[in-house]
Amino acid sequence: MNIGIHEFLATSALLFTFGFVGVLVRRNVLVVYMCLELMLNAVTLALVGFSRFNGTMDGNVFVFFIITVAAAEVAVGLAIVVELFRRRGTVMLPALNHLKH
Amino acid sequence: MSDHLIEFKEIAASNQWGAILPEIALGVLALTLLVLEIFLPKNRHVLIPRVAIIGQLVVLVWFLAFFRAGGGYIGQETFGGMLFHDGVGQVMRVFFLVSSLLVCHLATISLAGKQVPKVEFFHIALVVTAALMLLAQSNHFVLFFISLETVTVGFFVLVCYLRYQAIALEAGLKYLVLAALSSAVMLFGIALLYGIAGNPLLEGSSSDSMNFGALNAFLKNHPESNIAIIGMILVIAGVAFKIAAFPFQIWVPDVYQGASTPVTAFLAVASKAAGFAVLLTLVLKVFQPMETILVPLLSLLAILTILYGNIAALTQRNTKRLMGLSGIAHAGYLLVGVIASLYVPWAMGAVVFYLVTYLLGSFAVFGVMAHLSPEDGTGDELEDYLDLAKNRPFLGGVLVVGLGSLAGIPPLAGFIGKLLIFIAAFQAGLYWLLAVSVFGVVLSIYYYFGWIKAAVFQYWQVSPEEAARSREWPEISSISRLILGTLAAATVVLGFFQGPLSDWLGRL
Repeated sequence: MNIGIHEFLATSALLFTFGFVGVLVRRNVLVVYMCLELMLNAVTLALVGFSRFNGTMDGNVFVFFIITVAAAEVAVGLAIVVELFRRRGTVMLPALNHLKH
Repeated sequence: MSDHLIEFKEIAASNQWGAILPEIALGVLALTLLVLEIFLPKNRHVLIPRVAIIGQLVVLVWFLAFFRAGGGYIGQETFGGMLFHDGVGQVMRVFFLVSSLLVCHLATISLAGKQVPKVEFFHIALVVTAALMLLAQSNHFVLFFISLETVTVGFFVLVCYLRYQAIALEAGLKYLVLAALSSAVMLFGIALLYGIAGNPLLEGSSSDSMNFGALNAFLKNHPESNIAIIGMILVIAGVAFKIAAFPFQIWVPDVYQGASTPVTAFLAVASKAAGFAVLLTLVLKVFQPMETILVPLLSLLAILTILYGNIAALTQRNTKRLMGLSGIAHAGYLLVGVIASLYVPWAMGAVVFYLVTYLLGSFAVFGVMAHLSPEDGTGDELEDYLDLAKNRPFLGGVLVVGLGSLAGIPPLAGFIGKLLIFIAAFQAGLYWLLAVSVFGVVLSIYYYFGWIKAAVFQYWQVSPEEAARSREWPEISSISRLILGTLAAATVVLGFFQGPLSDWLGRL
């Protein structure tokens, strides 16, 4: 089978959808983080696929920036989760409702 | 020399470091603060916030005196097309510097006496400001994404800066999850746009397809391309999160309530203004060929945003949530201005003018809030404002001017800002949007005046035992008086006399 741009895009869109739905429905903060990472990786895959198909390096280079930013995001995010766990003893989203509505 | 080397030489020649001197200055200042923390003795650490504020004042004065024309780089692309310097970018640079200065001042009030490290707050605020300034001038999706994320990650830390408070952490977590979600959505849009505009088989494709100019040239040839349309919608969705437009506004009330007052002010003013600066660039310079889809999309967003913000704010008793929800409504009016700017060129100036009046009004209100809620999470209810005007007439006066300007009461600056946007919308023929906006303004007067009524006209019903433990009112330092007084005075003066500011904006 010849793998072309459509296969890349379909996989990427599928991963992105999984991640998106996961962020909306999962209750555990850590799983939500993993779903966010999945979405970023879906984007990465799309960029690499396009980069190869278009014959330009911009997409590949952009991927490195995305990985760096994702690492920074998760570093701060995990720090918040650890601190929150110390105060509240839970990382489940439904328990985080102390800000009034 | 080979072709690659020649190309490399050209790109290297476009690295005009002089064009980003203000951002470099802020970065150096931010690092200086950390160095000072190491080398100054502990009892001198109170000096560091002053260094931050004075340093920013120096940068601001230098910018206004010598760099107002962008150091001679206006109308040029620098750094291989990463940055484009235009008039709006220069106004926004000043805007972000001023808001960062005010945030630093509020932080000295509201961090005082708290058991948290102080220096890092100013460091992060400065870095975020530098990134905001670059964001407003970005001309390429890579730089756009990097500066946007620098701002966002900085805000994650700032929102949960008071980390001994569980509500601050909760607000930070909510902001983080939703901001990361929106940036992933936006990235997917960028990837699609990059892919389609760089496709060598399509006419007008470019090898540098993340550049705004190249993308615009491609979209002119293919305004009906489905992938490009999906890409555009996803990118607009990411920006809509920043400006808190419906339906991407769900984070606003919780995050505004949980964050400390200076951070709430920073989010409400600078982050929102950055979103609009970016949206103006994207709408006018990149997606303009797709007007037939863009205008209905943005109009729908604007209508829903105005209605949601105003209606949700009607019953709100917590002042921080009220500022957040009414801020959503302001984003709606600004969106109307952005749509109008597609048809009426001067509407761009009207949007920036509105942002300036919003800055003055909001910081006046947040300044009063920072004085009244010494412990974050308390003193934020409307009931806490009873008797304010009787006991602290100065704060009461500033609050009335700020809220009046946000409500758009003539002759204050906010009225002129709204008037300009509405005139632009009328000239552009956006009658439905105009009608919804006017309806929204009428609703907003109700809740803004509810707040003014609590502060000025309603008195605390004193029962004898409550009179015994009468609440303490804050002391106001003379520097706070000067700053809040200037904000209120500027709001009043700008209502009568737009002079130099409108000249500057008129030339955009």
